[in-house]
Amino acid sequence: MDNFLIGLFLATLIISIFTARLYRLIFWYFVNSLMLGLLAVFIGIKVHDNALIVSGAITLVLKALIIPYVLKYLSKKFHLQRQITPNIKVHYSVILIPAILVFTFFIAEPISHMLQANPNDISISISSLFLTLILMMEHNHVAPKIIGFLTLDNALFLLGITATNGMPMLVELGVFFDILMAIVIINLLFKDTGVKA
Amino acid sequence: MILYLSTIILLVVISPLLLSFITQIKMFITFKKPISIFQGYRNFSKLMSKETIISEETSAVTRVAPFLILSPLLTVLFLLPPIVKGAYYVSFVDAFTITGLISLSTFFLMLLGLDSASSFGGMGSSREAFISALVEPAMILTVFSVSMMAGNLGIGQAGVNLASSFPQKHMASFLFSAISFFILLIAENGRIPVDNPQTHLEVTMIHEAMILDITGVYLAIVEMASSIKFIIFASLFASLFMPFGLQFSVPIALMIFIAKLLIICIAIALLEASTAKLRLFKVPNLLGISIVFAFLSLITFYVLGA
Amino acid sequence: MIIFFLLLPAILMFIVSFVKTDKIANLLPFVSFTIIIPNIMLFKLPYPYHLMGNYLIVDKLGDYVFLVSSVVSIGVSLALMTLHKHVNIKKRAYNRFYRFFALFWLGLILSTLSNNMGIYWVGLEFATLSTVYMIKINYTSTAHKEAWNYMIVDTIAISIILFGIILIYASAKPLLGDNAMNFNALLAHIKEIKMPFLFEIGFAITTVGMFIKLGMFPMNLWLADIERASFYPVPALFSGILESAVMIGFFRFSKIVMQIDFTQLFGFVFIYSFLTIFIVAFLIYRAKDFIRLFSFSGIEHMALIALFWVSGGTFAALLHFGAHAFLKPSLFLSTGVLESKGKYHMAGALRGYKGIKGKIFWFIVGLFLLAIVSVPPSPMFFSEIYGFGAMINMAKHTHHMLAMIAAIAFLLILLSIIFYRFTAIYQSMKYGGTQEEKKVYSSEIIALIILAVSLALLLLPQSMEYLRSIS
Repeated sequence: MDNFLIGLFLATLIISIFTARLYRLIFWYFVNSLMLGLLAVFIGIKVHDNALIVSGAITLVLKALIIPYVLKYLSKKFHLQRQITPNIKVHYSVILIPAILVFTFFIAEPISHMLQANPNDISISISSLFLTLILMMEHNHVAPKIIGFLTLDNALFLLGITATNGMPMLVELGVFFDILMAIVIINLLFKDTGVKA
Repeated sequence: MILYLSTIILLVVISPLLLSFITQIKMFITFKKPISIFQGYRNFSKLMSKETIISEETSAVTRVAPFLILSPLLTVLFLLPPIVKGAYYVSFVDAFTITGLISLSTFFLMLLGLDSASSFGGMGSSREAFISALVEPAMILTVFSVSMMAGNLGIGQAGVNLASSFPQKHMASFLFSAISFFILLIAENGRIPVDNPQTHLEVTMIHEAMILDITGVYLAIVEMASSIKFIIFASLFASLFMPFGLQFSVPIALMIFIAKLLIICIAIALLEASTAKLRLFKVPNLLGISIVFAFLSLITFYVLGA
Repeated sequence: MIIFFLLLPAILMFIVSFVKTDKIANLLPFVSFTIIIPNIMLFKLPYPYHLMGNYLIVDKLGDYVFLVSSVVSIGVSLALMTLHKHVNIKKRAYNRFYRFFALFWLGLILSTLSNNMGIYWVGLEFATLSTVYMIKINYTSTAHKEAWNYMIVDTIAISIILFGIILIYASAKPLLGDNAMNFNALLAHIKEIKMPFLFEIGFAITTVGMFIKLGMFPMNLWLADIERASFYPVPALFSGILESAVMIGFFRFSKIVMQIDFTQLFGFVFIYSFLTIFIVAFLIYRAKDFIRLFSFSGIEHMALIALFWVSGGTFAALLHFGAHAFLKPSLFLSTGVLESKGKYHMAGALRGYKGIKGKIFWFIVGLFLLAIVSVPPSPMFFSEIYGFGAMINMAKHTHHMLAMIAAIAFLLILLSIIFYRFTAIYQSMKYGGTQEEKKVYSSEIIALIILAVSLALLLLPQSMEYLRSIS
């Protein structure tokens, strides 16, 4: 089951690299976070780790519900451009993405052999880290870059829950708090776009 | 043997039903009065009774091509994974054979389009060539990776293996190939994001453009071929990516199989109702996603074993 | 109790910034003076002292960095009083600047004193995000663009740091459990870890993240661009506090990794900082305005500190670090005055000061400008000598003595390019250009004097002894 969720996580990430519409991108981010939260809860139940279940629940609420909603609200309020064509053409991405995946899978191999966790989880989370970097690189607009940053955080969280079965609770809470702070800052940055000079 | 032949005959018989079923759901969703589910048969009998006119410009290809379009697809029907327990199945046919036979059928379809010597036919053929060239690698990769997961390169055996022992630990790559195959199912059968079989707009049509100049029995055969192609893909999807229900007794297994087909139809109908047709030059993007997922599934399987 | 006093100035500043009166700008700098209380309290504690369970720690290193950054924040907040005299800023923007300054400070206090990688990261990320808005206080389109730029680049950098931290945690968790994020626990048990390779990869990735954040080798220009676009206190805060916090993280991480694989660490950091200095030397040579110049020079010093630290010159690295943390913010603060007439007049920037304040100002700034390129009485001179000495010392036990000497010679050539450029700028500032009248305010003078006195205090034998005792 966790393989299935991780697969969907990566799949949504790859689809969001091909996406050229902002709302669609937010939707894929939502699915991505949903899979992540479900995965955290699932692993937490499997290894009887209450902290992981709690942080999975927070992920579900914060990343899968609040942040997509806020992003959509912000993009409506500030009339962000909704057509976001990727800079990297799809023909090149078709070659690039498998290349990155193969590369990261082979990079991750020695790492994943050292951990007692499932090796594919770690490889997939590392490759999703690279894919989010692609997502951030291929757009000129700010909004998809923000979504890329948030997805990067998702990928790191995935690495945290798969490689280490969750970080200490205080740190997890701090990370969530920082995400909230990032949203506040993004809101402020959008708000004061009125530029004088 | 009887079970084997009768399932194939069943597939042939219900194939027009599925396409009508998709249209029905779509019309229902868009608040139109749905057509009858037997519309496919009605069209078929109407075309059979019509006079067959062949353009003077055409060569012998037009007279032969419809049969050659249909026959490879009928052959593929014999090679599909079994639907019920105890039926015969051909275990040694792999992804290349099935893809090759389907492309053979597509090849004659394109010839048919070119042979009519009208501008539409050539246009349709070139578009079809464009799309099927992109479909083939993804198709081979996908079917290949699924049959690798099942532990046997033969598609029939793979379907049986998957049904008997589902590869739990290869769930991720299984999922990727399912996504890839679903996109192929849409693209290869001319469903909406790629082609719209219901319109005759010259900017969009692909399949319709090629068969614009033929009538009567030939048209009936080509339409039948396209519905059989759909059922081939649908039943491949049903037996490779929804591998359950094979262990029950024959009637229940058949019912489960038809239910799976109907689920696929509903999914396609929902997708068609909710998306707009892609511009032709955006189609490679969709197929590119499919190729990426097919490749991803293969490397996830090989490198990670997941 | 101590934690309350530690966070008090920042929280107080945050609260006071919501008061909407005009005079509040004069009150806010004095709020920052309350940071002296926890500083004194921390120095009286027995080392190492644990705060908040095991999450925060007061040891000699942390205490030193904390002291340095508090002095800098006092100086910066003093100089902030006259920000509106030099640049166009609204009163409301002032309050907002202080609000985010307080948040920034809060994050950095946490990460400076953290004994836990996770807390360190959380504090750093928090500070980074609040800086974004501090850049945005400058109400221009460039600043807006650069604020976004900073947001994107820095969040990537910081995510890379988190990536490394997770790998380190994963490598040590089987041994240490939830304590695997604890710096001290890791330091004590590092040799028992079963997967040192994973730990090293984690460290390397973390270091790359930190080096991006410091503006090292491949990412040289973004920091300078951002500092150029923002008001001058922001780069002062960057160079004084933020870089200190990043650096202390580097110190703590590398101290652990030194235990398991010293050569690899040394080679990695050596190549990295060498390339950085190589590029930055020429960037400095081409720099056309003060803030870019100082910003590149900051990158160079960070590379030097990292280099000294990994080659065993702990004392040299810390001295250099302290000297840089005092010098660079004061130079950045003085750019407010130096650039106040016109935009980028380098020539004649030190001329045209009237009265006693003006004379003190140009004297101090001139001294600082020479001190930053290690003209002898400056602590940087001593630190560089000790640092190169440590590098030689380290090479003595290996077969690479000649290579090390060649490397140091090459480094000195690069440093002399920077030296040449700075002295040329100093001369044109003092003797070239036209004489334009510039006004200096007493708060700036006080800020500069505070920083200068702390710089001089670094040279006292007692403080040197203190630095030596940190290892």
